[in-house]
Amino acid sequence: MGDQKSRVNVHSVLTQVSSGPSASVETYPLTRLDHAMGHHTIHVIFYYEKSPFGSFDMDPIRVTLSEVLSSYPPVTARLTRDDAGNWAVKCNDAGVRVLRARVGITLDEWLRSADGNEERDLTVWEDMPEVPNTWSPFRIQLNDFEGGGVAIGLSCTHMHGDLTSLILLFKAFSESHHGQAITFPPFFKPPAPPDKKFSVNNSKSTSYLEAKLQKQTPSVKMSTATFKFSDSVVKQCLSEIHDKCPDASPFDLLAALFWIRVVHLKGPKHDDHTHSLSLCVDFRRLLQEPLPYGYFGNALNFSLLSLNEEEMDCSMLGRVAELVHCHVSGLKEEEFWATLHWLDLQKEEGGKYAPPFAMYGPEFTCVSVEHMIIGDQSVMYSMNFDSAKPVHVSCHVGNAEGEGLILVMPSAEAGLARTVMVTLPEEETAKLCEDQSILRLKPTMLLRSI
Amino acid sequence: MPQTLPDFSNSVKLKYVKLGYQYLVNHILYLLLVPIMVAILIEVLRLGPDEILNLWKSLHFDLVQILCSSFLIIFIATVYFMSKPRHVYLVDYACYKPPVTCRVPFATFMEHSRLILKNNPKSVEFQMRILERSGLGEETCLPPAIHYIPPTPTMEAARGEAELVIFSAMDSLLQKTGLKPKDIDILIVNCSLFSPTPSLSAMVINKYKLRSNIKSFNLSGMGCSAGLISIDLARDLLQVHPNSNAVVVSTEIITPNYYQGNERAMLLPNCLFRMGGAAILLSNRRRNRSRAKYRLVHVVRTHKGADDKAYRCVFEEEDKEGKVGISLSKDLMAIAGEALKSNITTIGPLVLPASEQLLFLMTLIGRKIFNPKWKPYIPDFKQAFEHFCIHAGGRAVIDELQKNLQLSAEHVEASRMTLHRFGNTSSSSLWYEMSYIEEKGRMKKGDRVWQIAFGSGFKCNSAVWKCNKTIKTTTDNPWSDCIDRYPVHIPEIVKL
Repeated sequence: MGDQKSRVNVHSVLTQVSSGPSASVETYPLTRLDHAMGHHTIHVIFYYEKSPFGSFDMDPIRVTLSEVLSSYPPVTARLTRDDAGNWAVKCNDAGVRVLRARVGITLDEWLRSADGNEERDLTVWEDMPEVPNTWSPFRIQLNDFEGGGVAIGLSCTHMHGDLTSLILLFKAFSESHHGQAITFPPFFKPPAPPDKKFSVNNSKSTSYLEAKLQKQTPSVKMSTATFKFSDSVVKQCLSEIHDKCPDASPFDLLAALFWIRVVHLKGPKHDDHTHSLSLCVDFRRLLQEPLPYGYFGNALNFSLLSLNEEEMDCSMLGRVAELVHCHVSGLKEEEFWATLHWLDLQKEEGGKYAPPFAMYGPEFTCVSVEHMIIGDQSVMYSMNFDSAKPVHVSCHVGNAEGEGLILVMPSAEAGLARTVMVTLPEEETAKLCEDQSILRLKPTMLLRSI
Repeated sequence: MPQTLPDFSNSVKLKYVKLGYQYLVNHILYLLLVPIMVAILIEVLRLGPDEILNLWKSLHFDLVQILCSSFLIIFIATVYFMSKPRHVYLVDYACYKPPVTCRVPFATFMEHSRLILKNNPKSVEFQMRILERSGLGEETCLPPAIHYIPPTPTMEAARGEAELVIFSAMDSLLQKTGLKPKDIDILIVNCSLFSPTPSLSAMVINKYKLRSNIKSFNLSGMGCSAGLISIDLARDLLQVHPNSNAVVVSTEIITPNYYQGNERAMLLPNCLFRMGGAAILLSNRRRNRSRAKYRLVHVVRTHKGADDKAYRCVFEEEDKEGKVGISLSKDLMAIAGEALKSNITTIGPLVLPASEQLLFLMTLIGRKIFNPKWKPYIPDFKQAFEHFCIHAGGRAVIDELQKNLQLSAEHVEASRMTLHRFGNTSSSSLWYEMSYIEEKGRMKKGDRVWQIAFGSGFKCNSAVWKCNKTIKTTTDNPWSDCIDRYPVHIPEIVKL
């Protein structure tokens, strides 16, 4: 299954431009955090039963896309180096690359039979060239399935933005298509640190980053599996652990569950007796001066939660969920600023930022997308085209090496339902898919090869 | 090109002398008539009513004589009115506005150029230099097939572009004029570089279900001046067919003609030609007289094809690798100048006021008889026309004509701004320029417009229109969303 030729056939490449020229060509620098994320790429795929793109070349939906792009100058921009040698974005209106592909099977068959690795073909995976002034950092791939379904894949370098930025860009597109006002308009001013100084030395995040800088992991072939947990099952589980962790969110529960099972799968560790989980949380609304959701750029923080081996062995799900919950709710703004300050200190001579290293990994990393659920509405599934919600939304992170990555995302079903995408070394993914503790929750398995 | 009179003509005193001279010569008939009428009036008053009555009685009038005289007068009047050429009116016209997805910013154009011509950096540099100095803006449009990397110029895509441009312009024209498709008697479509079978005029007839006895024509291969050739053809047909409507569609289909090689002389059109089209309704029906925008006064066509250099200066051929492109020779501007001079020599006597013609004649006689070193007099065409529409073939063409005809920046503003906003849309560019002048509110009743177009062959064609009614600004034209931003200052070299 793995070596089979891809069923996704890319047949054309074109450039989509914005609807109006920007008043002047501005160049503005990327932030420290943006530079630090430079090792990775981010890819989001939206699946729809019926493609809104019609005839394509002259379809009015492309006019809407052009108009939305004119509100996002960094998306149609090109990367360039500034005087200090750091990356900057030159808003010259060059446009985004759009690729069109055809898949020979229907959407439903794809969701049943394709595996996580094949799903990667639905977006563009291109390395940034040495001189990127004619390279489009943003790419959209439109994959047409037999029978009218479509998978719209957006990808960009992680330097430009994070998962939230991509999702809200797509949401702005769907809202414009229906003539609605944009709920989360784009905001480009990076957060400014408050006046007080943050001590770098005793911050948990910074010591964790130091450790990341040192570690090197051998690259192993990874594979991805997707688990969909329904609202009723998650509710039931939460009530089971209610006594240990009364305020658990679905993220706490699922992160804990998968962490325990993955640790169990990996077996005992040789060198050190602690198990670590790296948690990636969005910081937009956690800052004292909250950033609007529409902030286009990176606003993430990675922090480490550690348990020693004995605690892990005899811990129950509730206890671990409680620990995760306390950790996530205990995250303070100081952590975020301390990280940025540390990154500043890593600058080389002349003000150039240090080369980026892996931020996702090498530990087992868990990404929370809880912030994309506002009220009881999941923003990720709110981009409708012709009144149809997406059937499924997937997300991949490029170059996320190490022990593994899990993303806990909202599902098409509202409420507490969640979709968990797990990327692990191949054998471990296969074993995880047979794990009884997970299977008893009756997840719907998508995109895994039988 | 001949030079102007020496500098002292700029001095104020001479200006007033010149004004006085012009007024005298242009109104000579009235100036002569007034003293004669005064003399007659004085004579009549002097004679008194009785004398006049005696004078009247002394004339013997015979019935036969009276009848013959009146028949003669009626006969002459009838012959005069029958042989007068029918007036041709331009009822209205519509220009095509491409969708924003077809826009080509400089950065995108250069990026595509670098990606497609990656083995020829010199050609890429050449294109960049041309684009910097071209006078085009960031909103010009290319058809969808050219946005692909590499471009996909299939025949289907070319037909798609033709349908999009022509049908949009036609729909807009039918809506503006209230014309019903079955009332179209004559259809002329001109598109130089794309000529499928069945023709584009057949495509229009099929789409709009036009009458089976329609007179349709399809002109191809005639270059950027084909628009005025079509107008000329329509005018001639309207002389033969009374009470008719003629629709002229001028466009240029870019899709099949995007040069994909790396020969420099052939890369130039890629930088300049852009998507555009126009549909024009001409009529000789009396009821259109009051609502028509313009009346066609003259069309003058000059062809320099007899000269080999002129014939070869815009030439479609294959390059060394077998890729077809249009090669522009280095003598283009000189040949254009010659063609213009020829055209002016023919149009001058038709449009210039008597004062200018007299000056020109006297200078000509003087040069021949007295002193060949006298500088030839260039007639001042600004006195014959209020507005000029110079084909937006490129910045060099507009600069050259501005210099030679001594036009001010405002006169050539329509041409320069059309080049900036729409690029060189070939035969339809004159109509975008007319639209610009109208949308700026400058077109008043009685204004005369001179449209000049150059084209391969080498041809220089002119049309003279007279404005029939003051034209109000509208919102359904290609300039509606950007007219307030214009005029813009176009730098000599845009930094890319």
